Amino acid sequence: MSARRLHAGELELGGGLEVLLAAALAGMAVGERLEVLTSSRSTARELHGWARLAGHQPVGEQVPSGGPYLVEIERGPFARVLAEPLPGRTSGPPLRGGELHTADLRAAVDVPAVADAAGGFAPLGAIAERGAPAFAWTLNERDTIWADDVAELAEETSAGQWDASRDIPWEAARGLPDFMEQAVSQVMTFIAQNEYAALYVPAAFLANINPRYPEMLMWLAGHVHDEARHVEVFTKRSLIGGQASYALASTELSLHTLLEERDFSGAALLLNVLGEGTFLDLLRFVEQHAPDAATRTAATLAHRDEVRHVHFGISHVRRRITTDPDQQAALVDAAERRATKLTQMSGLSPLLTEGLTLMAAGSLQPAELSSGAAAVRELMQTMEDNRIRRLQAAGFDPRTAQHLSDLHTPNLM
Amino acid sequence: MSRAVAEVRVGAVAYHPRIVTIWETFLEHFAREGIATDYVLYSNYERLVDAVLNGDVEIGWHTNTAFVALEQQLGGEGRILGMRDVDAEFATVIVTRRDAALDGVQSLAGRRLALGSRDSGHAAILPLHYLAEQGLDAVSECELVRFDTDLGKHGDTGDSELRVIRAVSEGAADAGALGETTLAAFRAERVPAVADLEVAWRSPTYYHCNFTALPSLDDELAERWREALLVMSYDDPSMRQAMTLEGVKRWLPGDRSGYQALAEAMANPSLGA
Repeated sequence: MSARRLHAGELELGGGLEVLLAAALAGMAVGERLEVLTSSRSTARELHGWARLAGHQPVGEQVPSGGPYLVEIERGPFARVLAEPLPGRTSGPPLRGGELHTADLRAAVDVPAVADAAGGFAPLGAIAERGAPAFAWTLNERDTIWADDVAELAEETSAGQWDASRDIPWEAARGLPDFMEQAVSQVMTFIAQNEYAALYVPAAFLANINPRYPEMLMWLAGHVHDEARHVEVFTKRSLIGGQASYALASTELSLHTLLEERDFSGAALLLNVLGEGTFLDLLRFVEQHAPDAATRTAATLAHRDEVRHVHFGISHVRRRITTDPDQQAALVDAAERRATKLTQMSGLSPLLTEGLTLMAAGSLQPAELSSGAAAVRELMQTMEDNRIRRLQAAGFDPRTAQHLSDLHTPNLM
Repeated sequence: MSRAVAEVRVGAVAYHPRIVTIWETFLEHFAREGIATDYVLYSNYERLVDAVLNGDVEIGWHTNTAFVALEQQLGGEGRILGMRDVDAEFATVIVTRRDAALDGVQSLAGRRLALGSRDSGHAAILPLHYLAEQGLDAVSECELVRFDTDLGKHGDTGDSELRVIRAVSEGAADAGALGETTLAAFRAERVPAVADLEVAWRSPTYYHCNFTALPSLDDELAERWREALLVMSYDDPSMRQAMTLEGVKRWLPGDRSGYQALAEAMANPSLGA
């Protein structure tokens, strides 16, 4: 068999020569020979040991006095990586005005319907080497977790990050009168309490997602990150005025039942569509009636994130019901199961209703309190109307949508 | 099947905790090949050789030094059942500092020569033997700087070779002997001490480790075990890690032709082994 030739010059083993050797040998057939020419007698002596350690066979050498020296190496039979050969180079994913979007990393048809539950962390496009330890993922089917626009949503999440320490005009929150600070602090504590659950629910699914669905990982990780910042910003707002408030047991009860939902789609319905959907209206209300710019900004920024979460929920549930119509009954069942656990809840805590009323009233004057109370009543109606609208967008018929909305927790999330 | 009723017991020296990983994996291979095998670990090769001679184990995984010692004590030929690909063409190199400009055997006369453990074939006994064969009686003509660490393990741990290259690098010795694959591994791992070293001499090649049994081992059993060993594949994902740890990519049948030099050297008391 003919030999190829590598001119090593003064390059030495351990000093970069092995890179050239590996590249040359990788492109050769088993049994093919490589002639390595080196100006170093020492390197020529070392090439034998290098070749054998790398699984190749030194088959000859020429050592003319004064050099250059030649060592002939026969390529060994062993693959360095136990995997299929790498496919040929392609043009790579397209760019959008210089930006590389997650949604463009692969075509929708290339998202596998089922992923190997034992598979490891092979990034998109990578060829997994055999012999890796087996994992035991539990979310391995595309249709049980996917949303068609999940990659775009993950993209928007990255682009929409903000900073709860620096992007909020905290100075503006200082100096409110006691009655207003008490109201705002209670509302903020309530929201923060709910945001904890909104973090824990996706976080519990995140570590079970098969790594073959990296778009889902990016989405859920972004979701969790969003919620961590919401916990942060609403906690900070409740603290800035120096006024403590209550973490209510009724809220805990509601959130406890939310965490008990173990089905991904069931959780998407209860958290993303119903819970966070209802919170969109709550955050809009807070934004409109905030007594200070810090509270208003926090609500505005959190609302922007929640829109994405609700969008995901609707998109996922609609896809789930479309691809598997039996899921509709299972999802209704999930909502009914949760509702039976919440029968002891009579309605939104009076502390919340009063806090929201005060925020809308802006004062303790009777006329303004009255209009504040009317605003809260209107909020409740808006919440219900929008819940039904979102449920229909998610694929439920009007009657079922009404039913599911009626079952929704009085705690709002 | 319980390993307690294994057909073959292989003795090996526990020079590193990874030996357990290696043999636990190898045993699965032998079980799959239908020859139940167990392993027994010893702390040094002298004890392993005794165990083979006493019949405590059927097969010993020997260094070349241990193999020669076994045959000397046996007073006859052992039965070689296999060796690693790297064992078939082993060589020792002598490294020097680049700026020392030493090259070839004669340039080492009068110099300080660092050697690994005195029971290591590749890092002490054979370099002295081959240097003598090529005209340099290093015992009398060089100042020997010996690193006799991990005695009984015949250089397996690599510790003495690391000390050799450090001694040369730091100027405590002018030259130092070590296995050429050890040097290649140090280079691959970017061990700092080898950066300024070059190879001034390379020995003829010789054989290193092998699996040895006594001639009394049942022929059919010996043959089945050897066949099971030889089919172990580096392309088998379940074996690759253990084979990498053992430093083997392919098992070879092995033969007696590469041990003559060491047998002569070990019979020669002037080499100081």
